[in-house]
Amino acid sequence: MVRLTVRRLLYSIPILIGVSVICFLLMNVLPGNAAAGLINDQMTEKEKYAAEQSMGLHDPLPVRYWSWLTKILSGDMGFSQQRHRDVAELLGQAWVNTFILAIVSAVVGVVAGMLLGYYAGTRRGRWADKVVSIFSLAGLSIPSFFLGIVLLSIFAGEMRLFPAGGAEFGVGIGPAIRSLVLPVATGSLVTAGITARVMRASMVDVMAADFIETLRAKGLSEWEVRKHAVRNAVAPVLTTSGVQLGYLLGGAVVVETIFRWPGMGTLTYNAIASRDLPVIQGSMLIVAFAFVLINLIVDIVQAAIDPRVRGTLL
Amino acid sequence: MSEIVVRRLPAGFGSSASAADRKAGQRLARKFLAVDDGARPQAFWKETGKRFLENKVGVGATLFILLLAGAALIAPWIAPHDPLTGVATDRLQAPFSSGAHILGTDEQGRDLLSRIMYGGRLTLIAAFVPTIAATVIGTAIGITATMMGGWVQTVLMRGMDMLYAFPAVLLAIAVSASLGPSLANALIATSIVSVPPVARVAESATRRVVTKEYVEAAKLSGASPVKVATSQIIPNVLNDIVVYASGLVGVSMLIAASLSFLGLGALPPAPEWGFMLNSMRNSISIAMFNVMLPGFMIFLTSVCFNLASDALREATDSRL
Amino acid sequence: MTAESVAEVAARKDDGKVLLELLNISKQFDVKHDGKKAKLSAVDGVSFAVRRGSTVGVVGESGCGKSTLARVITGLHPATDGEMLFNNKQLKGRRGKDVAKAMQMVFQDPHSALNPRATIGESIGFPLKVQGVPKTEIAERVARVIADVGLPAAYSSHYPHQLSGGQRQRVNIARALVVQPDLVVLDEAVSALDKSIQAQVLNLLSDLQDAYGLTYVFISHDLNVVEYVSDEIVVMYLGQVVEHSPANALYERPLHPYSQVLLSSIPNLDPTKSRRDERPDELDGEIPSPINPPSGCRFRTRCPFARDVCAEEAPERVEAEPHHFVACHLYTGKFDAQQPTAV
Repeated sequence: MVRLTVRRLLYSIPILIGVSVICFLLMNVLPGNAAAGLINDQMTEKEKYAAEQSMGLHDPLPVRYWSWLTKILSGDMGFSQQRHRDVAELLGQAWVNTFILAIVSAVVGVVAGMLLGYYAGTRRGRWADKVVSIFSLAGLSIPSFFLGIVLLSIFAGEMRLFPAGGAEFGVGIGPAIRSLVLPVATGSLVTAGITARVMRASMVDVMAADFIETLRAKGLSEWEVRKHAVRNAVAPVLTTSGVQLGYLLGGAVVVETIFRWPGMGTLTYNAIASRDLPVIQGSMLIVAFAFVLINLIVDIVQAAIDPRVRGTLL
Repeated sequence: MSEIVVRRLPAGFGSSASAADRKAGQRLARKFLAVDDGARPQAFWKETGKRFLENKVGVGATLFILLLAGAALIAPWIAPHDPLTGVATDRLQAPFSSGAHILGTDEQGRDLLSRIMYGGRLTLIAAFVPTIAATVIGTAIGITATMMGGWVQTVLMRGMDMLYAFPAVLLAIAVSASLGPSLANALIATSIVSVPPVARVAESATRRVVTKEYVEAAKLSGASPVKVATSQIIPNVLNDIVVYASGLVGVSMLIAASLSFLGLGALPPAPEWGFMLNSMRNSISIAMFNVMLPGFMIFLTSVCFNLASDALREATDSRL
Repeated sequence: MTAESVAEVAARKDDGKVLLELLNISKQFDVKHDGKKAKLSAVDGVSFAVRRGSTVGVVGESGCGKSTLARVITGLHPATDGEMLFNNKQLKGRRGKDVAKAMQMVFQDPHSALNPRATIGESIGFPLKVQGVPKTEIAERVARVIADVGLPAAYSSHYPHQLSGGQRQRVNIARALVVQPDLVVLDEAVSALDKSIQAQVLNLLSDLQDAYGLTYVFISHDLNVVEYVSDEIVVMYLGQVVEHSPANALYERPLHPYSQVLLSSIPNLDPTKSRRDERPDELDGEIPSPINPPSGCRFRTRCPFARDVCAEEAPERVEAEPHHFVACHLYTGKFDAQQPTAV
């Protein structure tokens, strides 16, 4: 098991390197992107070229990648021309908020999804199952920005139950939770829908297995039988949870924008509008690294719980 | 040196009947023991098609999509107004309020019905083009990786893993932002994001097929690897890939809608549904229905794509 | 095998009678065992010749390397060592289409040997398509070979799932024969069929051998089947040839201890020859792993006659009787008057 963990960790390293290369290529390959701040239209071609060269933009690619990488690792994520601040500084305040939102949404969504999936899986074909199926389909199909706007208009607009935006931390638990509710609801509804589907399918498969019959024949109560079933059914749910968390981190751009949540998503949204590429690059790096880490943890936990997975880990 | 005795099976080995009896027996066996009575050849896609048509929900969903496609196609002829121009004083009219604008107008006074119809084109393009591109590219990558094995497989699949390490929406945003906002770039970004999962499905399906003996038999016939791939492998992995790709259509549409919501898709005044939702959302308190309309269309179309894809998956399920 | 060069062997055998000759063929696979890299010796030092028009049976239990040998012969796996002569020409590297035309294989599993998405006609015609034969000729030859294997012509447009196991195996045979090969390797070709169907298919194979002048290498674990179809038999154990003799000689006088055990276990339907009241010989232990085969003679760990010399030296092939070869120290004369040791 230890060897497996180490192997899985080592496997992540080329992935992380690849991720950094992709980020670098996306944001830095076109010279116009990075030099946008130093250059203006009044310069001549020669002056533009000289300015680009002073920023190292015409060095060979591997050299540029290496200098970029070393800067990133030492904490320098570039400078945002539009906000006149270091990117690292901007992100440093924001990423905590984003992660809070993403993790809470994921937890709520996965738990709700598991409950719904369990409920549907054990009442196959009946009314409850059909309702959950419809709910899952809706969650799977709905664009999160639409859902967010709907929730916002209904609960914050018409009913004035929850704030229309912003994160209220530091004032007290009550307002903090109230400000979380709607954004979390948006993200977690989608997650719950997808998780419910996976859980339902898994429960149906497990409940049909022979060993369930054996347990019943042994005289276990239906409730105890189901407990055993659930333990076996959660494995695929674990896998999707990691993916869902990544999806939430990615979709944070949209959700945060709608709810004016002060996280990386809002930063990214504004950066898109103003073509502030260093900010986009910074948040992309953080989210991608986090996603790799999350998948790593999910894989290891899954191998620890379920011995069948261990052989297929790599 | 003594010759090796050459042995042959004795005549009538396995039966003591005469040759005439055996012939008669064979004739009777063929007549009565045929595996299929009627014995007409059955093609696979016909079977699948039949089963698909039995699924009413799937058929309904497909019909809606066809309806949408039809409306989008003939939009220039049936749209009541020009979707790109509007009169500012007519802005945000409620639906069913005036005869001129059945579904109301947007924040710049443009007719919503027309914009929805024209927007349908963009939506369908954004749904199908990246899916087709990703399917072709991803299948090629997956099959090549498995067939060539070795370092080619490692490099290709690790490359896919690296792309997979980004949440899809985020990668699409990054690619779009880097290339610049436009419809074409949004399509490219969505395609790139969709390639790794298709490659994975193709790779695992190919792995299951490539060990089968009929592939070995094809190699024995002297066929080149390319010919083996096209004649033996592709027809047998196509099933899995098509089923997965059908699910990808809905996802692709949502990613593209998200991109256009963020302003990374076609530039205004193009009637992209996602962009429309964003540009109207500040007016939600005064014109809720108008704002909801494009969002609801996205939702409805996505639901139909998913239903159709589910029906297709069920239809292909127990066939081999 | 003595140290003759390949060219010398080729020259010696050039009387047109030998179609295929294997010289010291070995095949190793690189595997991971217990987390470490190891070599799996699937086939080791196999040498025998196949005469035109005859049937050579290769028999042994599962895991003895028969299927790997089949694939090495047909070129699906390249041999790690050794040479092969086909029609007195050495087979090197990638094989040309003319070799593919002359050497074909019938596989074991009738189901997975046919492309489920292709009609029977397409599957059978595929080798001809690859060879570049014109379409009209393909249709004609496919129709002819379908009739030859005893299937109705209408089946040509059917799909594999519509046919029974025996019918599918006939299709496999048809596909192998449509290119008019000289040599057909049959890897457990009847093992997956019901006994009654086996008889029909074996009958068919025999008729086809006469009609087309074919040479067979018939691989099987089923001794009854091998006895009926083969002229010569090669017995394999753990990747090596332990005995090679004419079929009747093997069944009357098996020389290698392993062959003796194999043959003692065949049930016999002839009441006069029944040995029902005799106890069949038993082998101790399990077949060793081919990743780390026993030193010296590979059979020594289960052999009732094993002695020290069996662990030290691998027995070389000797011609104990005319045309009857065996690799066992009982016949190499290396036995002292020692007591058998428990290995």
